Amino acid sequence: MISMQLLTSGVIFGLSLGSIFFLMTIGLSLCFGLMRIISLDQLLYYSVGAYITFSVSALLGNIWLGVLAGAIVAGASALVVERIVFRRIYDRDLPFTMITSFGVLIGGVGVIKYFWGLVPRPVGEPIVARVDILGTDIPVYRLVIVAIAALVYIGIWLFLNRTIIGKAIRAGTEDVEHVEGLGINVYRLFTITFVIAGALSGLAGGLYAPLIMVDPNMGLDVLAFVFMVVIIGGLGSIKGTLISSFLVGQVVSIGSLVYAPLAQMAPFAIMLLILLIKPTGLFGSQMLKR
Amino acid sequence: MAAMSFVRWWWGLLLAFALVALVRVFLPLPFANEIIIFSIYTMGCNYLLGRIGLISFGQPAYLAVGAYAAAFYLFYFGNNPYVGILIGIAAGFLVSLAIGPLFVRLRGDYFALVNLALSVIIFYLMQKVLAGITHGDNGLWFLTNLASTPVLDLSRPDQFFIFGFLVAFVIWAFFKYLDDSIFGACCLATKLNEDKVKFLGYSSFNIRLTAFVIANTTTALAGAMYAVYLGFVSPEITSPARAADPVVVTILGGVGTLYGPLVGSIVYTGMKDVLSKVFGNWELVIGFVLVFIMLAGEKGIWGSLQPLLEKMVLRVTGKTAERGGSGQ
Repeated sequence: MISMQLLTSGVIFGLSLGSIFFLMTIGLSLCFGLMRIISLDQLLYYSVGAYITFSVSALLGNIWLGVLAGAIVAGASALVVERIVFRRIYDRDLPFTMITSFGVLIGGVGVIKYFWGLVPRPVGEPIVARVDILGTDIPVYRLVIVAIAALVYIGIWLFLNRTIIGKAIRAGTEDVEHVEGLGINVYRLFTITFVIAGALSGLAGGLYAPLIMVDPNMGLDVLAFVFMVVIIGGLGSIKGTLISSFLVGQVVSIGSLVYAPLAQMAPFAIMLLILLIKPTGLFGSQMLKR
Repeated sequence: MAAMSFVRWWWGLLLAFALVALVRVFLPLPFANEIIIFSIYTMGCNYLLGRIGLISFGQPAYLAVGAYAAAFYLFYFGNNPYVGILIGIAAGFLVSLAIGPLFVRLRGDYFALVNLALSVIIFYLMQKVLAGITHGDNGLWFLTNLASTPVLDLSRPDQFFIFGFLVAFVIWAFFKYLDDSIFGACCLATKLNEDKVKFLGYSSFNIRLTAFVIANTTTALAGAMYAVYLGFVSPEITSPARAADPVVVTILGGVGTLYGPLVGSIVYTGMKDVLSKVFGNWELVIGFVLVFIMLAGEKGIWGSLQPLLEKMVLRVTGKTAERGGSGQ
């Protein structure tokens, strides 16, 4: 069987992976909940965040500044894309937005290839310290990632429950027309949500960059996992996204300890199983308005 | 009169394929073969998206099923390319029949996502899990295994073109027939309003399942033809970067139009050849083309051309508008 040490490091690894998944999918989920779009281009902002992290940290020598810049630039590019593309297609049906956002994703990968080339780039690890947990050496950086994801979750929760804009967004996920009837400019809400989603994806990319190589297709590499997280959790549910991202993170991590190919196959099997029982995922709503 | 309706039904198809035959005369053979296979590949996606309203980003999955089924046979067991293609079709049929009931129950958005996940999983399956059988990234090479067959020798590209041409023609006639049949009408009705279809006493589940199986068997056929034509299959065929190919071509040609996949494949393959040489950055081009087409009204090339052509034909013949169910 697996040794205790391996298991501990596997769990921590899964937690950090789940945190990254959570940061990426929360944007997708928010966008679906409020605007009823499937925004595949979140994967583009993820790569943008990672690349900006790479460039800024190479330039300034500080990786945390790079991560910050990555999140900001990712949010800014989300704003540009929203203004040019998504603004025109909010009232279209879902497959339409999905195809369009896939076009943005592919085109964006092309832009990244144009600026940074095809060569995978390494990013140094900002914290090299290790800590001893249950007799296992754990890199502190992975724990920091989990902490940041937890902070983001609390921040999002506070934003959605304590601020007027957040409450309007929550109301919008229930019924956009009623919110509009209250005299709130829903298109501004859409923009805010989209930029937040893009910035969080960029943050995920920046945080994950030191642990992997940054390459143009990195967005497409995590695509399957991101989708499985969203489907298992149910589109549009933040709680579902949280639970399923940590579930998938653990399954990938522990699964790869047991038998390497299981890392990819096991989440898929779980997804099929859950869809068999509940076609809308764990916490997805049965109804789809508009 | 029978002869008249016969001509009216077939003339579009005959004209279209006469033009495709011209492609063979003017353009190099690999290009023509690529177009033929690609248009069959896209036809499945076009049917799902245009007739039943299900968008699938996972078509490469079914392509890979057909390709690998043919490849396993040709690599390990036999050497007759025709049998390989038949096995590819059978595998595509069985796989889509097995997973269809689970998938077509899903809402449109989940359907799209699950299919994409499926294609990525098949990629990992072929690349890593079954690496012992599929030789992983190196792929299976069996071009020299192919036996030369009588009548049409599929191991020779020029004769393969004739075979592919005939297959494509049959596929087109089949889909045109489907469009005219009651089943085709049911499909369209399911796309437009599922509840009303249920009220009329049809099972929307059965309609969707049948369409799903038909479309994906077609895709698997294209996969098997790829395998035989290239004599080589690798997991690259279902890599996530290529997931959008059939969707892009469908949109490019015009969703739900009969000749859209043909036009789309020609333009797409042509663009790929020409533009990627000029720019060297294929994703950039195709991404922006896709976004542009979607924003410009998603009718695609054939979808925009068709009304113009019809107007021209009407002016020439002086007839009032009376048409069968050709396209939309």
